[in-house]
Amino acid sequence: MKKNLLAASLIILVAINSQSQTLSIENVHRVSLRNSDAIKEGSEVKGYYFFYVSDKIDKRTNEYTLQITDNNLKKLKDIKFQDSKHVSILESSFNGTDLIFLFYNDDERTFEYQVYGADGKKKYSYNRQLTKKEERYLENSYLAMEDDENNFKGLYPIDGKGFISNMPSREDKDYTFQLDFFSTEKKKQWTYIPTIGGKKFIGDYLGYHNGVVFIEVLKFTGMMDGNPESSIVGLDLETGKQVFEKSTDQAKYKFYPASMSVMNDGKAVLFGEYFNPNGNIIKDKSLGFAFWGVNEKGATVNEKYCAWDLELGKFLNVSSKGKIEDFGFMYLHNMIQTADGNIFAIGEGYKKVASGLGIAAKVLSMGRSNGLSTVKVKVTDMILIKFDKDYNVKEAKIYDKNSNTQELPGGMEFTSTPLIGKLLKYTFGKFDYAYSQTNKENTSFTVCYSDYVRGKDYKGGTFNSISYNEGKVTTDKINTKSDATRSAVMPGKQGQVLILDYYKKAKRIDVHFEKLN
Amino acid sequence: MLMQINIARRINPATGKACIIGDFAIYLDDSTCLNLIIQAMRIERSAVFLLIFFIASSCAAQLQPVYTFQKDDSLLKKNYYDQSAKKKDILLASVDKKNLPDYKKIYENQFKEIGQLWQSDRSVTAPGAHEYLQSVVQKIISANVELKKTDARVVFSRDWWPNAYSMGDGTIAINAGLVVFMDNEAELVFVLSHELAHYFLDHTGSAIKKYVETVNSESFQKELKRLAKTEYGVNRQLEELSKSFAFSSRRHTRENEAAADRLAFSFMKKTGYDCGAIKTSLELLDKIDDSLLYKPLALQQVFNFNEYPFKKKWIQKESSIFSQLDENDSPLTLKEKDSLKTHPDCTQRISLLNDSIQAIPAGKKFLVNEELFRQLKKNFFIEMTEQCFRDKNLGRNLYYSLLLLQVQENTPLAVYSVARGLNRIYEYQKNHQLGTKIDAVSKSYPDEYNQLLRMLDQLRLDEIANVNYYFCKQYESLMKGYAGFDEEMNKVKQLRKNL
Repeated sequence: MKKNLLAASLIILVAINSQSQTLSIENVHRVSLRNSDAIKEGSEVKGYYFFYVSDKIDKRTNEYTLQITDNNLKKLKDIKFQDSKHVSILESSFNGTDLIFLFYNDDERTFEYQVYGADGKKKYSYNRQLTKKEERYLENSYLAMEDDENNFKGLYPIDGKGFISNMPSREDKDYTFQLDFFSTEKKKQWTYIPTIGGKKFIGDYLGYHNGVVFIEVLKFTGMMDGNPESSIVGLDLETGKQVFEKSTDQAKYKFYPASMSVMNDGKAVLFGEYFNPNGNIIKDKSLGFAFWGVNEKGATVNEKYCAWDLELGKFLNVSSKGKIEDFGFMYLHNMIQTADGNIFAIGEGYKKVASGLGIAAKVLSMGRSNGLSTVKVKVTDMILIKFDKDYNVKEAKIYDKNSNTQELPGGMEFTSTPLIGKLLKYTFGKFDYAYSQTNKENTSFTVCYSDYVRGKDYKGGTFNSISYNEGKVTTDKINTKSDATRSAVMPGKQGQVLILDYYKKAKRIDVHFEKLN
Repeated sequence: MLMQINIARRINPATGKACIIGDFAIYLDDSTCLNLIIQAMRIERSAVFLLIFFIASSCAAQLQPVYTFQKDDSLLKKNYYDQSAKKKDILLASVDKKNLPDYKKIYENQFKEIGQLWQSDRSVTAPGAHEYLQSVVQKIISANVELKKTDARVVFSRDWWPNAYSMGDGTIAINAGLVVFMDNEAELVFVLSHELAHYFLDHTGSAIKKYVETVNSESFQKELKRLAKTEYGVNRQLEELSKSFAFSSRRHTRENEAAADRLAFSFMKKTGYDCGAIKTSLELLDKIDDSLLYKPLALQQVFNFNEYPFKKKWIQKESSIFSQLDENDSPLTLKEKDSLKTHPDCTQRISLLNDSIQAIPAGKKFLVNEELFRQLKKNFFIEMTEQCFRDKNLGRNLYYSLLLLQVQENTPLAVYSVARGLNRIYEYQKNHQLGTKIDAVSKSYPDEYNQLLRMLDQLRLDEIANVNYYFCKQYESLMKGYAGFDEEMNKVKQLRKNL
């Protein structure tokens, strides 16, 4: 997608003829583009930004233009500035009132968070100097990470208040993470870096509720520790001070929260998978879904556990370890609660299968260890599970798509299924799931994913959607192979996508929105 | 080079911005002049024909079959096309051979656009409307000896955007989208005089010459070569260079506009038409808006049915980020912005001519045929609505169809057009191609049109089918026997079944 964004960005440099919901760009010239992406408020696309080098000033300095458009691609603002030629934008976010951009200077090893207000003027700038160790660690973690839209992910909006930045960090010998809050109300910042009680910490931002920032923390006693402690940590949004730390290993089951949502009743709910009380959340297979209602003091208000076989088994042929027939295990991408109270889990299947290539390699190498595993992973179909407001499974449906496979490195035959799911997501980027979006009223949502079709009438990539609108689920498919030399699909407003068609011969790019049916 | 001169400018259809009468004019040749005179001799006969046509069409409205355009004279279009081609060759033969490739490129491009007008159904050569126009043109020519030999080919076009333009080879077009806003024949005469003046003063030819000579000049080329070797700050310097060129060419263009206004006044004052129309025309151009003609489009009523009520969310405005950003956001100073305008402000144009207009006695608002003019306006609204459908500009087609429905003069045609439009919109949306067939919301559009565009943006596939079904059902008895309607009704019934 990043390559295709290059095309989108050319919009800004050339004369455009705007007719229909199309931007037709002629005389497309080669430009030096740094980054571009959709600007989102939550899952809602509110606009796009295009960041490019607009001029070379001297040997070390470039002039940059940061162009902001609205969600109809109407140009709103050009922000021009001069900076080192080593600058790029890593990500952006919008919190309903302000925009933030994270700039990275890979020569000077600096992060700069720039906040822009509603008038497009720069409000504040927050800097962070990285050490060499930090830079190396980030290059192998955050900077190498790709999320659903193949982009960096570590900036989270807090409505009207500011942004949370979360990224890996190194403190002396410890591998940890750094959580920063950047206020948009006034120039104010705090930082949280856990270093006590472990040698390695992994932190995931879960959400914000009633003045408290919730994070999931995995604490490892050493670099080789394979059974970390899991806890939820609450931080005061105003001060950054820890409000609570609550273990998720001490309840009826071990719980590994994946995300947090504030439900329609205004209460916060953590959701994720649960494991045996003596199990290992990194290595073992989960027993099912868990939902924990929590308050701002970290107290559990209610718990609900949905076993794979007992709950999901009513609708699909599923084992007690969560393996669904023909589908494999489920990787949970997202959970959405709609205005009618129903909760939807969006997942994708994957399973281990024998690797002919890996087995042949092993035979040829006389059983010695070699580069490939004798098993590979097959990514299968999409799944949508509907829960009622009390988290009882009400429906589950698998949406077929063509499978694709991923060879694994040698020695991974016995790696646990959940870990393989994480590898597929973050290391191999093999899942077809692209993103999901809800409308403001939460009455509808759209799940988007890609596929590849080898049909009689059409052979090529497709962009697919599962849409829920006022109780009805529909599916749709857009063929992404067209007369154009290259086409790409980007997120648009909920229920819409932005299609970019690049015509090489005509040196033209057409960009238009299309609705998903 | 990105710099490019606008040779024959039409107003950007996407912005729908008020008409600023188009540019430039050129000299005439004898053969086409003769042609015009022959056409003028046919005027009286054609006026009668046109009247009959209009009366017939309005009487038959209730049982009118699927709308068809007024039948164009294809031979005349072919003749005009050939004349334009010939003129292009003449113009090319007269240019400085040193810069021939540049001239050739410009004139070929220009001819491509002109050819498209003659070869498409955009140009109106149907005898009634066309000959009426020629009779008005003839009023100007016969009163001005310097125009006697003009080879201008003047036509109405079915284009919706309010504009008139002179292409520089003698082709002059007055869009239906402008005519529908005019109040009288005298206003049409001013617009025609202005375009004839551009042609007479050869503004297009001069502008092309100036452009080609400038970009090929020693100093300009030297500067370009210097920039090609420069490593830093190239874009800024290129921008400066193109800006100075643009300011200079726009200044000339504005001077040309003022000159065309002066000459138009000179042409017009001899015709017997009321020169006060110059003022009203220019005032109209300044504030042109659909709300001048039609009462606001009541979408919430048109698409509200007992069985399928209108949903407010269909037209709800989305909160926009940086709502303040799009105001006054330009690196250009006010002076620079002003310098880039191709036309002087209409108030300025009026003030330049006001004293002269006051000094002459008031003339007539109509000299050819008031009734025909009024009927022409009505018919042109239908023609441009239909043209939008043919151009697959489905959002605008639906908008005009709904406005037509509100007027209640051509209800069956409007109902059919709405039903057909919504069915096409359904088909394009189903195939994910609607985005290229409807406009995006724009500040320059009337609020009601933006509201309709928002609705089309919001409606889901099943909702389009339902809205159209209940719309058709509401008019089912009225539309009984109306050719084409049953087909659309059956289509929407089938679409609902497939949901």
